[in-house]
Amino acid sequence: MFLISMIIWATALLGAVMTVWALTWAIKRGEFRNLRKGASSIFDAGEPIGRQTDFFPPVRKGVR
Amino acid sequence: MTPVPEGPAESRLEQISRILIDDSSRVPVLLWFTSSVIWLLLGSAAAMISSIKLHHPDFLGGIEWLTFGRIRPVHLDIVFFGWSSMAAIGALLWLQARLCHVRLPWPLLLSGLAMVWNVGVVVGSVAVLAGHGSSIEYLEFPAYCAPFFAIPALGVLAANVKMYLTKNSEHTYVSQWYLLAATVWLPVLYVTAMLCTYFGLVQGVSQAITNWWFGHNALGLWVTPIAVATAYYLIPKVTGRPVHSYHLSLLGFWSLAIFYNWAGTHHLTGGPLPAWTITVGVVGSMMMFIPVITVAINHHMTMRGVFHMLKTSPTLRFTVFGSFMYTVASFQGSLEALRSHQEITHFTQYTIGHAHLGLYGFFSMIMFGAMYYIFPRVTNNEWSSARLIKVHFWGSAIGVLAYGIGLCWAGWWQGLMMNDPSIPFLQTVEYVKPYLILRSVSGAGMTIAHIAFAISVWRILSRHHFVMSGPTLFTTQRPAWKEFVNEQNQREEMAQ
Repeated sequence: MFLISMIIWATALLGAVMTVWALTWAIKRGEFRNLRKGASSIFDAGEPIGRQTDFFPPVRKGVR
Repeated sequence: MTPVPEGPAESRLEQISRILIDDSSRVPVLLWFTSSVIWLLLGSAAAMISSIKLHHPDFLGGIEWLTFGRIRPVHLDIVFFGWSSMAAIGALLWLQARLCHVRLPWPLLLSGLAMVWNVGVVVGSVAVLAGHGSSIEYLEFPAYCAPFFAIPALGVLAANVKMYLTKNSEHTYVSQWYLLAATVWLPVLYVTAMLCTYFGLVQGVSQAITNWWFGHNALGLWVTPIAVATAYYLIPKVTGRPVHSYHLSLLGFWSLAIFYNWAGTHHLTGGPLPAWTITVGVVGSMMMFIPVITVAINHHMTMRGVFHMLKTSPTLRFTVFGSFMYTVASFQGSLEALRSHQEITHFTQYTIGHAHLGLYGFFSMIMFGAMYYIFPRVTNNEWSSARLIKVHFWGSAIGVLAYGIGLCWAGWWQGLMMNDPSIPFLQTVEYVKPYLILRSVSGAGMTIAHIAFAISVWRILSRHHFVMSGPTLFTTQRPAWKEFVNEQNQREEMAQ
């Protein structure tokens, strides 16, 4: 029982430390700088801004 | 043979890179996804049986393992562990690989973990049907089922971290924050809750607190972040428009990470808990307005001016509906945490209506949208029928709206009647009965929608009406790209 208690408290502490570390790391790494560029990071020359990438399948003869 | 589309070499290389990433995730993603669709059908069947029993208690009443006390938890657990979690993991693996610009690592291992997870759901469901389940909501499966979920969850976490550490992209997109956090939170939540509830660490009132700490967080810190991450990727990607405010998106993630964990105890308002624990839950729930408003502004403003695309994109139709329901269900959930609200709605059908607006209207609809986007890209095939997709959408949308609005309305008046000592309890039951029938009818609508979806999935997997390129795949005309890849490889070899 004591061991399980310790494991849970240690996990909670580890989680808290990891969260603070992740936030600090992200700030230092510049993840929160130039956010406009970040928003565009999922686009590229192949699937650029302004292009729709999903449509209903076409209606074909004999297919409902 | 489809000709190689014109375009700069950089563009073609990026497309080839996407194809290779999709190819690497094919087997594991399809396994997680198709398993989830099978569980969706079984979960729907269990839901229908449970729902009909509420207004016709004798329905299948002579079969012990189909009594309400067993089939209802089986519905809940199949939907949570089988449908929701497996769909979420499939979407997570594909999304993270795409966002990190890396191939999915350990495809065989991740496929094996999907099978382990499936075994867990089968064993757990059979155990509950046989009467070996517990009364702890969301944790009804016996303790021996825990390794079947904890080990795959750790495996998915490892794959997610590996992709992130080896990523070829400079920036961490907002979806990646959500995906990484969700995979860290799930094992912590699940293992802690199992240790606490099944190994006697907490009992009585503390056990109830642990139960709802897990139950609420399993939705808010596991499936919600994955659905929000998916919407943050799909809405901009399909419309071709960047997120309206990237600042708000990051604020939304960090505020969710900080506040959601505190909200669970609002489920126990009015229970024999110290008042401060419930107050913490109420305050946590109110603070959730911050992430919800940020997501609402972003998703809805990104769509501003392009709502006409809902007519032409199945992915967008489901995802935008799900995003809208996230706003509705979250606002409702935060208000529901207030003591004054709970005085009326606690122990009524209102809670069931709210739960379905959240887990189905929000989460499931976004997962459907994700599957409509991902399946063609990993199977290299088109959806066979636009009509089936439309049946799926309208069956699900009308079904969940009728279900949610009907039960919330009924629950509100049921609560007011139950609070009035001059009204006999039986009268409240009679009042709710027509709404319980509406619940079954709208559930049948959703079940028909699921069957239509399962047929579409079966057809795309079995290559029924096989088409290699078309509007859904749009830019990824793969046969030509593969030829192009071979050509590039040959050139590189010759150059060496």
